[in-house]
Amino acid sequence: MTTVELDGVSKRYGSETLALRDVSLTVSDGEFFTLVGPSGCGKTTTLRTIAGFETPTTGTVSFDGREMTAVDPEDRNVGVVFQSYALFPHMSVAENIGYGLNFAEPPDGLDAADRIAELLELIDLSGMGDRSPDQLSGGQQQRVALARALAPAPDLLLLDEPMSALDAQLRESLRRQLVEIQSELGITTVYVTHDQAEALAVSDRVAVMNNGQIEQVATPQQLYRKPATRFVATFIGDNNVFEGTIQQSRPPRTATGSQPDKTSPEMWPRDCVSVAVGSETFRLPAVDQAAEEVTFCVRPGALSQHEPRNQLTVAVETTEFLGETVRINGRWNGRSVVLQLDTVPEADELTVGFDPTAVHVIDTDESS
Amino acid sequence: MLYLPIGVVFINAGIEDGAPTLGAFADVLSDPFYFGVFAQWFADPFAISDHLRSVVGWLAAVSVSLSVVSVPGTTIPIPWLDISTPGVRTGLFGFTAYQAALSTVASVALGLPAAYILANYEFRGRQTIRSLTILPFVLPGIMVAVGFYAMFAQGGTLNSVLGIAGLGPFSFIEYSPLAIVIVAHAFYNAPLVARITVAAWETVDVRAVETARSLGASDRRAFLDIVLPQLLPAVLTGALLTFIFTFMTFPIVLALGGLQLATVEVWIYDRIQRLAYTEAATLAVLETVLSLGLIYAYLRYEATQSRLAQGTARPPKQPLFPDFRTAISTKRLAIVGYGVVALLVFVGPMLSLVIGSVTDSSGLTLQHYEFLLNRQLEGESFQTLPAVAIRNSLLFGLGTLAIAVPMGVGISVLTARAGRVGTVVETLAMVPLAVSGVVFGIGLLQGLAFGISLPGGWQLQITGGVAIVVAHAVAAYPFVTRSVSPLLSGLNPAMVESARALGASRYRALRDIEVPLVATGIVAGAAFAFAISIGEFSSTVILASGTDSYTMPVAVERYLGRRSGPAIAMGTVLLVITSVSFVVIDRVGGRVER
Repeated sequence: MTTVELDGVSKRYGSETLALRDVSLTVSDGEFFTLVGPSGCGKTTTLRTIAGFETPTTGTVSFDGREMTAVDPEDRNVGVVFQSYALFPHMSVAENIGYGLNFAEPPDGLDAADRIAELLELIDLSGMGDRSPDQLSGGQQQRVALARALAPAPDLLLLDEPMSALDAQLRESLRRQLVEIQSELGITTVYVTHDQAEALAVSDRVAVMNNGQIEQVATPQQLYRKPATRFVATFIGDNNVFEGTIQQSRPPRTATGSQPDKTSPEMWPRDCVSVAVGSETFRLPAVDQAAEEVTFCVRPGALSQHEPRNQLTVAVETTEFLGETVRINGRWNGRSVVLQLDTVPEADELTVGFDPTAVHVIDTDESS
Repeated sequence: MLYLPIGVVFINAGIEDGAPTLGAFADVLSDPFYFGVFAQWFADPFAISDHLRSVVGWLAAVSVSLSVVSVPGTTIPIPWLDISTPGVRTGLFGFTAYQAALSTVASVALGLPAAYILANYEFRGRQTIRSLTILPFVLPGIMVAVGFYAMFAQGGTLNSVLGIAGLGPFSFIEYSPLAIVIVAHAFYNAPLVARITVAAWETVDVRAVETARSLGASDRRAFLDIVLPQLLPAVLTGALLTFIFTFMTFPIVLALGGLQLATVEVWIYDRIQRLAYTEAATLAVLETVLSLGLIYAYLRYEATQSRLAQGTARPPKQPLFPDFRTAISTKRLAIVGYGVVALLVFVGPMLSLVIGSVTDSSGLTLQHYEFLLNRQLEGESFQTLPAVAIRNSLLFGLGTLAIAVPMGVGISVLTARAGRVGTVVETLAMVPLAVSGVVFGIGLLQGLAFGISLPGGWQLQITGGVAIVVAHAVAAYPFVTRSVSPLLSGLNPAMVESARALGASRYRALRDIEVPLVATGIVAGAAFAFAISIGEFSSTVILASGTDSYTMPVAVERYLGRRSGPAIAMGTVLLVITSVSFVVIDRVGGRVER
């Protein structure tokens, strides 16, 4: 099968706009690889560069080590599915699916008609081949677009926000179908979405993009647990990001100073460092003591009312009941904080704490 | 091909004895015959205080009064708004603008009720009537003029009908040729106003109206605040286009009013007939500058108004006559009344044309067709022969297709590209709409038909039929562009990209995806082009004068000068051929018209 490699790809429109800045990534054979980011981050441009619809200003694109940068899209043997489906309205469903077979032999020695029937079955639309695309629902049209892309057995499947025009329930079921088909065929797939939850759900690996650059490439779990940048930390899931100043190793104090410290030294991991955030001081492990500044994040789920360590008192602003959990948006020390609790709180203020080991340190300023 | 003839006109107007001069313009501008009282402004532009004083004096003397007068010859009273102004000599240009303004008011007045009904009510034939509003573009002007003649002349159908009731006969045309010309202009332009307004009305998002209602606006208030502001641009667009078209009116005024109602175009034509080419060219330049200015205003206006009409929920249409009680409500009766007027104005002339061709004062007859047949069989070669006219019309129509279709499609492809190139090409492609057929005819006549010397002893000269085909093609290609462009720009670029990704080359994607999807637009555009060529009169009459490359409309006009019967019969033949073109447009291009 196929690996895809982008090496130092930049794309400039006109003289000013830089759509991609030095993008390098490798998609392994058979991998479900997702590009995720806010709109305008360059994810679609990256996909179109792989497909050959855009030529990079600098840098190279190669498939299996063969350079493809200047190869026309029709000679790349890729299957593309667009958000708008882009079905040919003047052709039947079967003609749409079979269009690519005009230019390539059907795989496995099948003839075109059998290949079309096989794909119709794969997408659960057997017997619908004679319909016109506009007689199908949005979900069915999207499946036809997928079948059309798969018909010539491409080396690479490229999906550009294929689900975003569909409603949430349909999207989930189609997503499962897509993942099933993808793993069954073992085809290398690049998927573009702006929905971080979708990216986490379907992908083997995810590249988070922002401002035309790649922020981080990692598996969904790594991305969630160990975001490499502040942008990734806040883009992937809810998160609380704090910037603090590293203090000398002193025992922790509470905010008011009037309450006695309820924690005992044995509750703290070793090598903890005091970090001042606003008027509060937290103790965190695994921080480079030589640095002055540190940025770290704590997931809402790690902030607990039953945790005596690293406490902070949050003023509740809004409460969202989500079923299993309750999300609380509040303020602490002039910044907004997100909490996740099991029940709707009664009080206007909540005191929560976090386990020092639940903290992920994004970066430490090592300037000193 | 387009700019050369226009350039020739400009050069002819501005060069005298080989030296550039503005003398011809100064002569025309300061002649009260052309510009009336304004001529002295041009003659002495710096005497501003004198001019202002005369304007103020004139305004002070204007009086408006509303009175009830009776329809001439009867005792039916009608309210009449009387605006009495002290006599002002407005000159030829002033009169042209005056009749254009009146025609615009009449077209809007006749078109808006139609728009209201088409946009808000559902009834049988609604869709047909809606697509019929495109018809005036393909109806030959001279044919419409003859139709009005057949209806309103002393021996016309209207007098026959009134005669049954013991009234008349009235000399409508002699009594007020201007009124008949204005009604004929409304026949042409009211459907245009209706068409543009309906299109805007149907894109008004019903959810916006519902939002306004939920915020406390009454039904009426919601209409005023939400619907009306979205309709006004369309109405203004229609009015502006109507003004432009009627400012350049030619065949209708020529046939119904003659020189006593001369507009600029008619006068230019008359100057050419009298071989006063410089004067004609000067007038043509002035007229073109004016109409280009108007078109520019139109384009600017349209550009500011263009917005995305996406995902709008259309309001449901009410049935027109759901039951008897509703059917006799004031509103429905008013609609019926309007229907009668519309029937009279739109169907009357065409019906009169057909009836007039098979009747005379004594009853049914085929003598008019017999005259045409005899003329064909026995006429001298210098006379106007019907079969020659029909043959020429069809030949020129095919020639026009051969030029206008590739040209129109090519321009569509260029304009479909985003960016500055597309905008510039699109604007240039609109120019033929602003340059009248008469002006273009002069340019071709003086430039190509008389010959242009090229460096190296070559002489560029095209004559007769070829020049006419060129003129027709220039008039027709914007319609090809206009039918193809929306389809082309509506194509989802992802479709071509999908085809490319599936292995199709760029050419193959063009063949498999783009061409089939715009094919209906191309065929519809071709039918338009053919119909326009068949009906074109203005430049043909100039280029064909004194030659045997006359077409059907020209033949109609030539007959009309002497005997009305054969002209009406010839007009009916033209109607039949034009109708066939329209059926093709409707059948093939029906999907384009939405």
